[in-house]
Amino acid sequence: MRRKIKTWVGMLLACLLLTAGCGSSNAGQAGKPSNRLTVYTAFPEQEVIPYIEAFRKETGIDVKFVRLSAGETLVRLQAEKNAPQASVWYGGPSDTFHAAAQEGLLEKYQPKEAAQLPKRFTDPQGYWSPVYVGALGFAVNEEWLKKKGLSAPESWDDLLKPEYADNVVMAHPGASGTAYTVLATLVQMMGEEKAFAYLKKLDAHMRQYTKSGSAPAKQAGLGETGVGISFAHDILAPKSEGYPLLLTFPKEGTGYEIGAVALIKNGPADELENAKKFIDWTAGLESQNLYAKTKTFRLPVRPDAEVPEGAVTFDKIKLADYDAVWAGEHRKELVKKFETEVRGQSGVK
Amino acid sequence: MASDMTVSTKPKRERGGFIRVKMLAREPFLLGLIVLVFLSLFLFAVLPIYQVIKVTVVGDAGADLSKIGEVLQGHFLHVMWNSIQLGLLSAVLSTVVGFVFAFAIARTDIRGKRLFHLIALLPIISPPFVLALSTILLFGRNGIITHGLLGLEDADVYGLGSLVFIQTMAFFPLAYLNLRGVLESINPSVEDASLNLGASRWQVFRTVTLPLAVPGIFSSLLIVFIKSIEDFGNPMVLAGDYSTLAVQAYLEITGMYDLRSGSFMAVAILLPSITAFLIQKHWLSKKSYVTVTGKPTQSSVRMGEKRMVYPLFAFCALVTSVVLLFYGTVAAGAFIKLWGINFTFTLEHFSYIFTLGFDSILNSTLLAAASTPLTAILGMAIAWLVVRESFIGKKVMELSSILTFAVPGTVVGIGYVLAFNKPPLLLTGTALILIAAFTFRNMSVGIEAGTNSLRQIDASIEEASKNLGASSFVTFWRISLPLMRSALFSGLVYSFVRSMTSISAVIFLVSANWNLLTVSILSQVEASRLGAASAYCVLLIAMILFAIGLLQFLVNQLQPKNRRRA
Repeated sequence: MRRKIKTWVGMLLACLLLTAGCGSSNAGQAGKPSNRLTVYTAFPEQEVIPYIEAFRKETGIDVKFVRLSAGETLVRLQAEKNAPQASVWYGGPSDTFHAAAQEGLLEKYQPKEAAQLPKRFTDPQGYWSPVYVGALGFAVNEEWLKKKGLSAPESWDDLLKPEYADNVVMAHPGASGTAYTVLATLVQMMGEEKAFAYLKKLDAHMRQYTKSGSAPAKQAGLGETGVGISFAHDILAPKSEGYPLLLTFPKEGTGYEIGAVALIKNGPADELENAKKFIDWTAGLESQNLYAKTKTFRLPVRPDAEVPEGAVTFDKIKLADYDAVWAGEHRKELVKKFETEVRGQSGVK
Repeated sequence: MASDMTVSTKPKRERGGFIRVKMLAREPFLLGLIVLVFLSLFLFAVLPIYQVIKVTVVGDAGADLSKIGEVLQGHFLHVMWNSIQLGLLSAVLSTVVGFVFAFAIARTDIRGKRLFHLIALLPIISPPFVLALSTILLFGRNGIITHGLLGLEDADVYGLGSLVFIQTMAFFPLAYLNLRGVLESINPSVEDASLNLGASRWQVFRTVTLPLAVPGIFSSLLIVFIKSIEDFGNPMVLAGDYSTLAVQAYLEITGMYDLRSGSFMAVAILLPSITAFLIQKHWLSKKSYVTVTGKPTQSSVRMGEKRMVYPLFAFCALVTSVVLLFYGTVAAGAFIKLWGINFTFTLEHFSYIFTLGFDSILNSTLLAAASTPLTAILGMAIAWLVVRESFIGKKVMELSSILTFAVPGTVVGIGYVLAFNKPPLLLTGTALILIAAFTFRNMSVGIEAGTNSLRQIDASIEEASKNLGASSFVTFWRISLPLMRSALFSGLVYSFVRSMTSISAVIFLVSANWNLLTVSILSQVEASRLGAASAYCVLLIAMILFAIGLLQFLVNQLQPKNRRRA
């Protein structure tokens, strides 16, 4: 028995030492330039791996990443303010980046080739830089269309037609950036009063408000709803997996997201130079061509970059004149109004 | 006595507090243990939660309660009630199912026990989102069962009903593990005596077994209630328009970028949880449940009558097949091209996870393995201290031990980052912070199980050991711990499995060097790659089942040698 106690205690101690050892070994040496770079990314795992691999081939810098949604990254940056664990924030909608910049969590940095990026997509304050764009669209289940003998909706107004009743899904604007883009786009396009009148009517057709922005596209793919409102790349991804989806864009005009990259303030000092190199690289033609090469459906920002097969470029869609900064500043009040006026008492069941 | 809470909380057989405190001074091990437990609880349970509360009530310009007012004006109370309703329903149903399972396995000669036991452990392994997605694949509008089998056109799978269903399936194993430990440690001779005196099986059950199982029933209700209202993954996918606090808090933080309101909502979940905890403690403290007295016992004749065994068997078989249906769906998903669309057999999902995802598999296993023994030992030690020893601040110890268990994982994660992101406690980015989070978040189940089994063991056994000159440490190690075997096992299993599968707490704690399997699964789910997500899950389940087998073997080693041979 005695001996057994000793072995158990020994094992415990060994575990502790082992983990403590692991813990201390990865604290980087400050100041000295290193060969590594840590990135928070909103890109899915299988998508980001080819990107960072391409970067490593070009520069020899080893990129390690943590995958977090944009909202999660913001919280993490807030909480880690004293000692951020990463130097670069890569991917995710620019309005979250804007919010982070307002809170002083980002460091201004623009890539060397910033001049190659269209002005309408860049940050006037210079905190973040665009890496991809994507427009809002309708994900329509083809089998459902066939079964009901319908044609796909082509406009915001179409969604109010009786045949789509109880078959429209979007996320809740208070929960998802995608859905907030829908709300803000409609308000900017129609004016506040008309937009809310429209949303009230649409609410009657709504099957469900999901929590996540890409869920409507997935639900449409699984046949849980006829139509889902999401970003085009979130619709084309399940479509490419094999789900029977059709992508259409509203002809009155649609909003869009700008995917961004930015330098995190006070990130690990030894990674600073690598971080800048990385941000330079994201604006380069090589990296902008990667969306087409790896068959993801994001639209490159650079006009001279290759467009992924199957993706629809912005010149073929009617874009609303979407002001992301304005949208960010009116977020609280618009979401609150949505809660009280559109969802009303039935809002939270 | 019952009316006075401070008196009634002390176990019956305890001697005067003064003498015990004096004895403490003579027992350096005991004193050291108490100090160590307090210190670690303060650091890893109280401090992080305190940091989160601080964020809520302290604004940029000093103390400021405006956020709380703002939150209270919204739908907060309604959402809170939703959570409580969900918690109560899931707790009652899970405990009923868990009890029937535990009873069938511990007290009868039912066939297929081993299988039932194994299947009942499966749902603890609930990888994030995947089971909820299976629900949609099976029972959704295009679901294999609702649409394919039953031909329903417009099944609606979202809402309270589905949530209660999936949570019952996910959490009944907790009740089962807990209650099985309790039922097994009820000395069978008590029941035999009642039978010999002419009571019917039903009378024995109603007047002896059930009342003695009350501590287990209550703590199962408590654990499932807390777990249910804290649950994030299932409501996120399946709730539809039914809002719960844990999800609402997360969305407030990540969707509205409002850390303060979200934290307040999340910390508010503590209110119903701690209320439930206090009610449970108050009830249990009034009675004695001692049946293991150290006097010789004979093992009883297990129930074998057909009229008892058949319904129990049918019930267990039904639950088992539901569990198998869900996990079968996941397993099938790992080997086919695309659920619902293309059912061709493929191994491509596995080749993907072995080429790209191997690091995270290794990390998850390593960290879970490191935190498991810590969790179990700490849990058993706290249970033992709380039930057997008396010292100042015992209540505080009990309460703080459930803090990180009761708060939604998201907030635990944020609390950990806030608390451990500056020197001298700079732990972010290390493996240590993950191990600590696992340990302190999972230990409650071990504590509950340990407390329950200790309540049934007469303290005189331990006193005998001490009278014979053994120290507290030797007594704990050689007498108490082996008697708490079953509880120890549940603690170990739960801790390991939860460490492997937790997501909401770790999402803020994973780092580039320490990325975890569940984060990879989440990424796959987000990208609609259900096949790869399922493949990860299958691998996860296989590894966990292997680990459970190993733990069972190790725990059996604790059994005294002579009895093991017998």
